[in-house]
Amino acid sequence: MKRSLNDKQKDLIQKFAALGSLVVLIIMFSVTSNSFFTVSNGMTVALQVTSIAYLGIGATCVIITGGIDLSVGSVLALSGVSAALAVKAGASVPLGMLLGVVVGALCGMVNGLCVTRLKLPPFIATLGMMLVARGLALEITGARPVSDLGDAFGALGNGSLFRIETIGADGFPNVTFPGIPYPVILMVVLALLVSVMLSRTTLGRHIYAVGSNAEAARLSGVNVTRVTMFTYVLSGALAGLAGCVLMSRLVSGQPNEGVMYELDAIASAVIGGTSLIGGIGTISGTAIGAFVIGILRNGLNMNGVSSFIQQIVIGLVILLTVWIDQVRNRR
Amino acid sequence: MEQEQRAIQAVSPVELLNLQNVSKRFPNVLALDGVNFDLRRGEVHAVCGENGAGKSTLMKVISGQYQPDGGTISFKGEPYRFASTHAAEQAGIAIIHQELNLVPHLTVAENIYLAREPHRGWFVDRVKLASQAQQCLDRLGVQIKPSAKVRTLSVAQQQMVEIAKALSLDAEVLIMDEPTSSLTESETTQLFRVIHELKRAGVGIVYISHRLDELEQIVDRVTVLRDGRYISTHDFAQTSIDDIVARMVGRSLEDKFPERTSVPSDICLLKVQGLTRKNVFGPVSFEVRRGEILGFAGLMGAGRTETARAVFGADAIDGGTVHFDDELLQIASPIDAIRHGIAYLSEDRKSEGLAVKMSLAANITMSNMAAVSNRFGFIRFRDEAAAARRYIDALDIRTPSEHQIARHLSGGNQQKVVIGKWLFRDSRVLFFDEPTRGIDVGAKYAIYQLLDALAARGIGVVMISSELPEIIGMTDRVAVFHDGRITGVLNTRETTQEEIMQYASGLNPQAQPQSAHAPEQQVLRKTLLN
Repeated sequence: MKRSLNDKQKDLIQKFAALGSLVVLIIMFSVTSNSFFTVSNGMTVALQVTSIAYLGIGATCVIITGGIDLSVGSVLALSGVSAALAVKAGASVPLGMLLGVVVGALCGMVNGLCVTRLKLPPFIATLGMMLVARGLALEITGARPVSDLGDAFGALGNGSLFRIETIGADGFPNVTFPGIPYPVILMVVLALLVSVMLSRTTLGRHIYAVGSNAEAARLSGVNVTRVTMFTYVLSGALAGLAGCVLMSRLVSGQPNEGVMYELDAIASAVIGGTSLIGGIGTISGTAIGAFVIGILRNGLNMNGVSSFIQQIVIGLVILLTVWIDQVRNRR
Repeated sequence: MEQEQRAIQAVSPVELLNLQNVSKRFPNVLALDGVNFDLRRGEVHAVCGENGAGKSTLMKVISGQYQPDGGTISFKGEPYRFASTHAAEQAGIAIIHQELNLVPHLTVAENIYLAREPHRGWFVDRVKLASQAQQCLDRLGVQIKPSAKVRTLSVAQQQMVEIAKALSLDAEVLIMDEPTSSLTESETTQLFRVIHELKRAGVGIVYISHRLDELEQIVDRVTVLRDGRYISTHDFAQTSIDDIVARMVGRSLEDKFPERTSVPSDICLLKVQGLTRKNVFGPVSFEVRRGEILGFAGLMGAGRTETARAVFGADAIDGGTVHFDDELLQIASPIDAIRHGIAYLSEDRKSEGLAVKMSLAANITMSNMAAVSNRFGFIRFRDEAAAARRYIDALDIRTPSEHQIARHLSGGNQQKVVIGKWLFRDSRVLFFDEPTRGIDVGAKYAIYQLLDALAARGIGVVMISSELPEIIGMTDRVAVFHDGRITGVLNTRETTQEEIMQYASGLNPQAQPQSAHAPEQQVLRKTLLN
């Protein structure tokens, strides 16, 4: 009884540790920079975080089953340029983006098949896909950006809801509220959906069961293959979506986008308390983790810290949070 | 001449090992309780006992892996004080484990001299390594190339490499734990020849084997353990296998088992015919009846667990049929078996039965999520909690709440959670694999009561157990396994532990003279096979 309370306390401490460090970062950067704690910068951060968050949500599901997906950065690029090429070839924007998501889901399916049927270690299977998808993205574009896609292609990435602006006396628009960017809305919706899926449905329960003890789950009648497949397909589809949104923001298809994004995604899940051994993790934790990384980048930028130093800081944050996680799991 | 003899004794005393009153305690279990044992030069001293009698613990104490909690040990007349297997090895006590401890990707020579390779400067002296290894192998008279990779060798050859390694350490005491369990007959003969060589060279051998029929070929003395206690030591020439078996099992059943309330019927629930998994077990045929407890007796590795897993669809089969209620089942995976009401409770709860990071409630509903979720797959948490609480009450699971993480429950309570999982699934045939292993005595009684209650509800219960008293005390019928086959199906009321042990050891009971300990029996002997 006592032990369980302690465990719950530890879980709370972990959640508060991540959330607490997020708050500390916000306060710190607010003090050091005047323009940090503003509505418009808040939206900027949220927008910057979206890519990591989409990938992080998928990564969380995969990691809970005890797997890993290293291919998402490359799949993001392949899906994005696929969508762009489709639109360039005359497809409508929604159809092109749907194609992008489907390409991502297919990549995820191949990952899943390699893991469940060929019994490859997830690390190797997705490492292979990382190279294949990147190579494909570069090959089909000739390594050149796909541009001249038209305004409609940029609507998803650059539009926002509830934007309030007035035309000022000088003729320039005066923004009173920058609005909530569509990618941010999409991120919130996705996070809620996947969070509900994980915590409230049979499928989510089975995802945790596979990660907690795959053999026990199999002997309990859980279709371990199908559950594992699902997480990789979800991860791939979310990478595809992230690719479409990112390319839409850039209004061009960039085959070199998303390099190393998979590591940000995994880092955000891990900072949020997802255990790389499997069986443990939440979407809320991953969201916090994604914002910790996003705010660190943004705040350090505003304080004129070089990108090299930023890497060092983020690396140290990952080490620190995972160490806290280890301490938590040591009984 | 007397002086000469004394001089020899001073240099090399006849007695290698002497253990007096040794005990070893683990949480909840007294694994060794006042055990005496001694070993002389040039003898093979067998240690016999049922599974769980303390043989392995004794071996680990002798080989320095465990430190005893009480008693004295002397080695060559000096007090024994080795804090690790490495220290014991250095002093000349080597152990050859049942699961061999070789590095498969290294060569034979590299394995023999692992971590003590001969060096020339900073580099391994390959020439010396090969020639030294060759010498070790020559001493055993075995044809193995020092340059062969260990993974390319047969199990018997690997065992020889282990023995060669022990000899290269100048071992004077060699402990062999079930050395013949995976050897063919001719390989066993070769091993025995090597053992005779070792005896002649003055090595003392501690020998553990479940195959009692082998003992007479090599053994000089036998020590019997039971329930961690020392029973007796005999010169092998002056005793018989029947006598040893009687001493191994001879304990009273007392009140360890509840009164059976269930009445077995003749209605066949599950009928298994000719089930085979190549190189593992079979063909195996048996039937499970409504409301009975069928025991699977036999030694470790005899194919009991493997048979149960195959019926459950956890492992693939190469032949045979399974009928349930006269309907032929196609079982390709546990999902199929579960759908038909067959359940299997693994002997290894932690790694195969429980999701230890998940809550008690989540574990109980794991195989029947449909019952606590709506048609869109959303879990009805109130129903789930109610289901969990129902089994917490019914099975008397000691837990603060249904949200408790399974890892924090005691062994007995974890077992009850797994049982609860299968009751919640309305299973009709339940395979229990060693249901009371690692559970304290009080909890065992509760599990027994539960098995009886399940049978009373008309469920067909199969209990795999290595503890013969448990088989005698709880089952209606016993299927005895030996070497992947059922050697006999016995009516529990009309059999004895001794008889089961003989079937399990591959001895033919009919051919043996009646044991003095076995009462006059009219045993229903129904040999099902071939």
